Amino acid sequence: MQNRPSGFCNPWLQLGLSIACVFVSELLLKRGVTEVAEPESALSWTGLNGLASPLVWWAILLIVASFISWLYVLRYVPLSVAYPLSRVVDVLVPLGCWFFLSERISALRWCGIALVVTGLALVAKPIAKMEERL
Amino acid sequence: MSFLALLLIVVSLVTFVSAQLILKRAMGFSAANSMRNAYFVLRVLTGVVLMTISFFLTLGLLQRFDLSYLYPFQGLSVIFITVLAAVVLKEKLSARLAIGALLITAGIVLVSMS
Repeated sequence: MQNRPSGFCNPWLQLGLSIACVFVSELLLKRGVTEVAEPESALSWTGLNGLASPLVWWAILLIVASFISWLYVLRYVPLSVAYPLSRVVDVLVPLGCWFFLSERISALRWCGIALVVTGLALVAKPIAKMEERL
Repeated sequence: MSFLALLLIVVSLVTFVSAQLILKRAMGFSAANSMRNAYFVLRVLTGVVLMTISFFLTLGLLQRFDLSYLYPFQGLSVIFITVLAAVVLKEKLSARLAIGALLITAGIVLVSMS
């Protein structure tokens, strides 16, 4: 991680952008495919009928953006660090489902979210220290 | 959940995890070499194809299950990717990182059970 670019090219900023794009795209995908869902059709197991929804296309645009940021992150950050951190979306997505899609979150699910946050803190803390020293 | 649904979840997971490992290898290579060579392009393309397969399988599944239920299955990929990054890509795996990855996975499994 030497010669780490700063500003907009900072890999940690790009990781954040990538995560934000994934978060929004997941909510758009769920809303999009729900609008055009055909649970009886066997073809719909492939997911291709989802392309009928404009929201799905917006989501694909965001996924492409997140993918480019992610490739950039992979240039500088070990996969075993970057990937667990990227799973902060596993907290953001259920919260987003609760907030924007009115899905219910049970007590057990809240506990799961708390565990994920603890794990993320463990992975992230040595990195925060490392960055301070740079 | 039907056997087909479970199978599709597993396939989307496997394609996703292998895509990440292949892409990391390609990008690590590109940091030291030029991007205009067959080794790099082939790996990025393979990664993109695998991610695309995983993506459409997920879309199919999303039509049948709640996002907050289905999505965390991908969280199992944390364990797979962290371990495989250490084994296949020879990345250093500290105890702290391993415990962090375990907690994240445990949390995600709890979320998907509830």
